[in-house]
Amino acid sequence: MNYPVWQLEFLGGGFLIAVIAIIHVYIAQFAVGGGLFLVLTEHLGRRNNDPGIIDYVRRHTKFFLLLTMVFGALTGVGIWFTISLLNPSATSVLIHTFVFAWSTEWTFFVVEIVSLFIYYYTFDTLSERKHLIMGWIYFGAAWMSLFVINGIIDFMLTPGAWVENNNFWSGFFNPTFWPALFFRTFFSIMIAGLFGFLTASFLKDKKLRTTMLRYSAKWLLVPFVLFLAASWWYRASLPPHIEEIIFQKMPQLRPFITLFMACSPLLILGGLIMAIRMPSGLSRSMAAVMLLIGLMYFGAFEFLREGGRRPYIIYDYMYSNTILKKDLDQVAEAGVLQQAKWIEHKRITPDNLGAAGRELFNVLCLSCHSIGGPLNDIRQQVRMSSPEELNLIFATMGKERPYMPPFAGNEFEKQVLIKFLNTNIRR
Amino acid sequence: MDAVSLIPAPDAIPVHWFWLHLLLTLTTFLHFVAMNIMLGTGFIAFSTPFWRGNDVLPLNSHIAKVLPYSIAFTINLGVAPLLFLQVLYGQFLYTSSILMATYWLSIVGLLIISYYAAYIYRLVDEKTGLARLYIGASILLLLVVSFLFSNNISIMQMPEVWSTYFSDRTGWLLNFSDAALVPRYLHFIASAIAIGGLAIALYFEIRQRRGAKDGDEWIKLGCNWFTGATIINFGFGFWFLGALPTVAYDPATIGGKIFFILVVGSVATIIPAVASAQTGRIIPATAWALGTVLLMTLARDVLRLTYLKPYFSLPDLPYVPQYSSFVVFLLAFAGGIFLVGWMLKTVWNAKKEVA
Repeated sequence: MNYPVWQLEFLGGGFLIAVIAIIHVYIAQFAVGGGLFLVLTEHLGRRNNDPGIIDYVRRHTKFFLLLTMVFGALTGVGIWFTISLLNPSATSVLIHTFVFAWSTEWTFFVVEIVSLFIYYYTFDTLSERKHLIMGWIYFGAAWMSLFVINGIIDFMLTPGAWVENNNFWSGFFNPTFWPALFFRTFFSIMIAGLFGFLTASFLKDKKLRTTMLRYSAKWLLVPFVLFLAASWWYRASLPPHIEEIIFQKMPQLRPFITLFMACSPLLILGGLIMAIRMPSGLSRSMAAVMLLIGLMYFGAFEFLREGGRRPYIIYDYMYSNTILKKDLDQVAEAGVLQQAKWIEHKRITPDNLGAAGRELFNVLCLSCHSIGGPLNDIRQQVRMSSPEELNLIFATMGKERPYMPPFAGNEFEKQVLIKFLNTNIRR
Repeated sequence: MDAVSLIPAPDAIPVHWFWLHLLLTLTTFLHFVAMNIMLGTGFIAFSTPFWRGNDVLPLNSHIAKVLPYSIAFTINLGVAPLLFLQVLYGQFLYTSSILMATYWLSIVGLLIISYYAAYIYRLVDEKTGLARLYIGASILLLLVVSFLFSNNISIMQMPEVWSTYFSDRTGWLLNFSDAALVPRYLHFIASAIAIGGLAIALYFEIRQRRGAKDGDEWIKLGCNWFTGATIINFGFGFWFLGALPTVAYDPATIGGKIFFILVVGSVATIIPAVASAQTGRIIPATAWALGTVLLMTLARDVLRLTYLKPYFSLPDLPYVPQYSSFVVFLLAFAGGIFLVGWMLKTVWNAKKEVA
């Protein structure tokens, strides 16, 4: 309502953010768990006085640095860019409310960069003790980044008392902060095991390869039990209406629930198989498949978490289409076209029905629906419904369809939008 | 359409705008320094072999080693000013980003390719032939990214061009209607090359102070790049000044007065910087040049305020004080500085022991 809408069609409906966010969060969590993996594996190598393990840590660190520092860091910037383009109003709320959480996280990011560079380049120049301290500093800073970001991400799902008091701490330590923190911490350790498989599978020494694959399997399997416990806690902490949306009221989320459930035994089974001695070619392929399963597992979770917020972008505060919950009645009374700033056709006339309908679609629908794209394709949904059924959908938004915001415009705008869907989108 | 009616309503800030602006200026300065080193040294590494041939390859090996660090720190130090810019000017910045959304989002991909190209350049032993393609691609993409940033800031400061959105809503706006866009961009790039040259000189000066025997040639080369690029930059600077609206340096306004003083101050500090560099006094040259970068950063801030004056001033921002998280940030910041200082000192001492 406040900002112009980037008129995406095929790539609309949250596709861009889904792709960037899932990849980024997967790597960013590797950056946390992988830090612990580095330092504890180095401890192991030093304790056993095993140069093979130390050399493995050195190689793994190079891979880790190139992946997390370049791709991880830049996709993180990419998320920021993307959300500010797709939903500037919500981004603005997050930035203004948590400016000093973001800036605190930035200081941890600085420490991460410096410590990781030093860790990688000083295997031979620093004493063992000081080198390990560098590794611990890296892990500490990376986990603190997770701690801070976790507060902001979960604020969007469960802002708790912030909605009433607008207090920073109420929003940050929101109702799902702690279970989500444990959930993400254990998951990040599991991801470290998954990436450990990949680098270990490239080791030429058979004995060392088997040792490190088994070692990585422990990183996947041991925290898995704790991860499942944290998942249960996370689910139990969700307000009942959010749990209901995710597990009952939103049919679009069922495939992701199924995927999440199916990937759990696959990860356990895969982890056990990786511990078996096998040819290097096979272990590399298996490692790649395991990484992919991990990505799907986490992707499914992210879809569920995002879906749970529906119809809001910030739960109970701002709808997906950026209209504030408290403003809904006022917008409905005055009309969307009058209230939104970036509207060319403030007044609907017989000559601009199509153009005004498109503007209503941009403001009210485009944040969740693509046109002909892979996510939430409005064209497919319109074509599946008769004009009468389409009217029914509008009548049930925010009620029987609780994952959609109530229609925010006035009755005339509703008819103009329906006409636009039936004429311009249905064809 | 009336530009004022398009400006989004800002959200409330949690501390007085002065603190946020102080952090914006400070982190922008740090970002500019890192960016200048990154872009300038990369540009010099790519372009010098065209006329010096392979005898500059030892220098390029040093630059190749440092380039991934400087990219990492440029990006990291860019995150903070982008954050504070959003807090203070989000209603303008988000809008301009959306108007050029396709270009804006492409920056992420361009930076990833550029960063990996710089790493490949570092990792290949031979810095000739194909390797030059990597450094060339890396620098070319960074130059494109720089232009897109200049373009965004240009749109952000000129709400009067925002209504072009209604003729194209798909995020492809380049603001060539701003006469200052191109000279501003060239001014920034020439500054980066100048500071990059000085950074090369400083790097070898420090190495020599720590006992290295080589480097005289590269100190001289770096100083010459610094001097040459600075002289050319006077031309771009005057072009930039001429393209600015006269109100920017109008002595009748406070903003105009301050801007004028800062520009004169920049000239007054860059002259001794060049003189010091040409006489081989690298540390004083660096100090003067950093002073220039700081003054130009401040001039940049004043200029932004002047551009936006018809639409906005900082005291207009809604302000709902909540200082506790600011205190936590300051503590984390102090702790971060301490840790980074300790780590750098540890490495510095360890290198000394090894040497």
